Amino acid sequence: MNTTLKPDGSSKAKVLITSIIFMGLSHILYFKQYVKGLLFSLVEIIGICLTPFFIHKIYNLITLGFPQPDLPVKQRSNSIFMLIDGIMILAVIAIFIVIYIVSVRNAMDEYKDFCLTGVLREKKGAMRSVKGKTFPLLALSPAVLLVLFFVVVPLVFSACVAFTNYAAPDHIPPNNTVDWVGLENFTTMFGGETTWTSAFGRVAVWTIIWGFLATITCYAGGLIMAVVLHESKIKIKPVFRSIFILPYAIPTVVSMLVWKNLLNGSFGIVNRTLMELGLIEKTIPWLSDLWLARFVCVMINLWAGFSYFMLLIMGNMTAISPDIYEAAKIDGANKFYMFRKITLPLVLFQTTPLIIMSLTHNINNFGAIYFLTGGLPKVADSTLTSAGGTDILVTWIYQLTVTLMKYNYASVLAVVIFIVLAPLAIWSFRNTKSFKEGEV
Amino acid sequence: MAKKTAQFINKFVVWFFLIGTSLFVLYPLVYVVSAAFSSQQNIAALSVVPFGDGIALSNFEFLFKKTDYLIWFKNTLFVAISTMLLTILVCALNAYVFSRFTFRLKKGMMMALLILQIFPSFVGMVAIYVILLRIGGLDTLWGLVLVYVAGNIPYNTWLVKSYMDTLPKSLDEAARIDGASHFKIFYKIILPIAKPIVIFLGITSFTAPWMDFIFPKMVLRSSKVQTVALGLYSFVTDKKNMFSTFAAGSLLIAIPFVIFFVITQKMLITSLGGAAVKE
Repeated sequence: MNTTLKPDGSSKAKVLITSIIFMGLSHILYFKQYVKGLLFSLVEIIGICLTPFFIHKIYNLITLGFPQPDLPVKQRSNSIFMLIDGIMILAVIAIFIVIYIVSVRNAMDEYKDFCLTGVLREKKGAMRSVKGKTFPLLALSPAVLLVLFFVVVPLVFSACVAFTNYAAPDHIPPNNTVDWVGLENFTTMFGGETTWTSAFGRVAVWTIIWGFLATITCYAGGLIMAVVLHESKIKIKPVFRSIFILPYAIPTVVSMLVWKNLLNGSFGIVNRTLMELGLIEKTIPWLSDLWLARFVCVMINLWAGFSYFMLLIMGNMTAISPDIYEAAKIDGANKFYMFRKITLPLVLFQTTPLIIMSLTHNINNFGAIYFLTGGLPKVADSTLTSAGGTDILVTWIYQLTVTLMKYNYASVLAVVIFIVLAPLAIWSFRNTKSFKEGEV
Repeated sequence: MAKKTAQFINKFVVWFFLIGTSLFVLYPLVYVVSAAFSSQQNIAALSVVPFGDGIALSNFEFLFKKTDYLIWFKNTLFVAISTMLLTILVCALNAYVFSRFTFRLKKGMMMALLILQIFPSFVGMVAIYVILLRIGGLDTLWGLVLVYVAGNIPYNTWLVKSYMDTLPKSLDEAARIDGASHFKIFYKIILPIAKPIVIFLGITSFTAPWMDFIFPKMVLRSSKVQTVALGLYSFVTDKKNMFSTFAAGSLLIAIPFVIFFVITQKMLITSLGGAAVKE
């Protein structure tokens, strides 16, 4: 067990420099941890070998290729592949940097340990601690890779597209290249072009109104039904509860498409029923009148969404300890008083974070709008912007991507949603119990 | 006397609410069932009185003989089961690590997961499409499974982690002293006692693929790998309206779901309530 290190801390710089010069070098030279050192070195060697490849890809990311109109389509450079490859390479480089930092820190820890004990760690002990420390790393790595390449890279990509001119008809690879355009899309969307700006304003306002209305109606509906079911002494309560669970159990696609057909203006069952009953003479344009369609969206969402809150609130009500009620009864409180002063405040308190979560869910509630109205009815600017009267931001993003292929504008909207919702998510996270108790 | 009247009004209001809501809830469902069993195919020809067209099985016959319904069903089942198993494995393992270990970057990683879960995953649709194209996952079921599992990780890791935080640490510490490996502790001790939340996770990740539309639409192109949601949607596009066939197909997937949810409603209520309390 010979080592050139001094246990008084004076060799700190030596360890630091060697571990920075080459990954794993200090492990081999000073700590006699050959396996670990070789593994780190291998990572560094692979990294060095791939550097030209990395540089090439990064260069492509910056230029996004050049127009080559004289080449056949298949050989032209594809800007979108370049963009995604570049982002993926950046992710790989990030992983590499993390490994580098881990290796340096690990070397420093080893040295600190050496200073404390005066001897190098026993081989066996060292191996064991490696196993213990690498378990989190090994267990998390599949998830980290999946999330990195299927969640983070796509999101970064879509944020990047907001700064390019990737849109039909002139900039769709492989025929043409895509270029970085800076903030041009943002200025178009927020003031530059009246059609787009007014469409954005209209959709954004409706998204917010929709988010609040959808959340409040579902919460209130769920609360009322939960209270009625919980407080009433009806014998067939389970029957009603089973009925009320149905909307939660039925896939959204199915229920929304069913409603869409029932409410169809000309041949829908609802209109025909009302006509045959003699209640109306002309068909009601449930889904083709702007404000009526919006109202219908909220109502149908209430149909689909109240069960979830009902279940949630009932779960909370049954979780309230019976001791509290017992104590209140001894004090002579009546049932209504107990409900008002005990049940309601407790339930409200515990479900508030979920209201916030439900709000973000509703703002992003693609299914409720897309399958019911498809964003229709058309309004003045719909032909150009593809945003219909009931479209919310996410369905508009979908339309822009799939029908119009205006990827740049779709990405601008995604960035807007991020800017609005991220603080909300962080705020509700900071209010969670585990965060406040410092468990995170 | 006044008290009796008040009680009567109270009862009346309660019954009114319960029956009114039941009618509202059941209204579209009655028409799904009656359309599925009617002999008509188009909604315009459907009688406004439920079951007014008599009872026939022609729509089911059409579904099984003229369409690929069984293939769609098999595909969706495969996607749902694989997504469920992988989601449980990955999320529970992550949650165990986040709940029981301390390491660098932990707080940062938790925060990143939280921010990532607010995005509807189709925001990155174009990129996912190109990535799948590059790894040969386009038009395959496993490509879809990968996308689903990755999308499930952020939120569900949080959910399971908050549940595991409430479980006593003494059990796994005792096992650790006895020399059990980390994975063994996870598999033999943590997973069994975290069963309620694991079951909940299983249910939600199993049901989601049946309802999802955007990703299958994007990833799956050829008719042999379609899912049920895609197939059903194709019956009620603007170009053709085969509402009754759609209803028959929907009924066949909705029934197992409904039975399952009605049977497990007690458990759902407690696990939803529990999840809320812990968050």
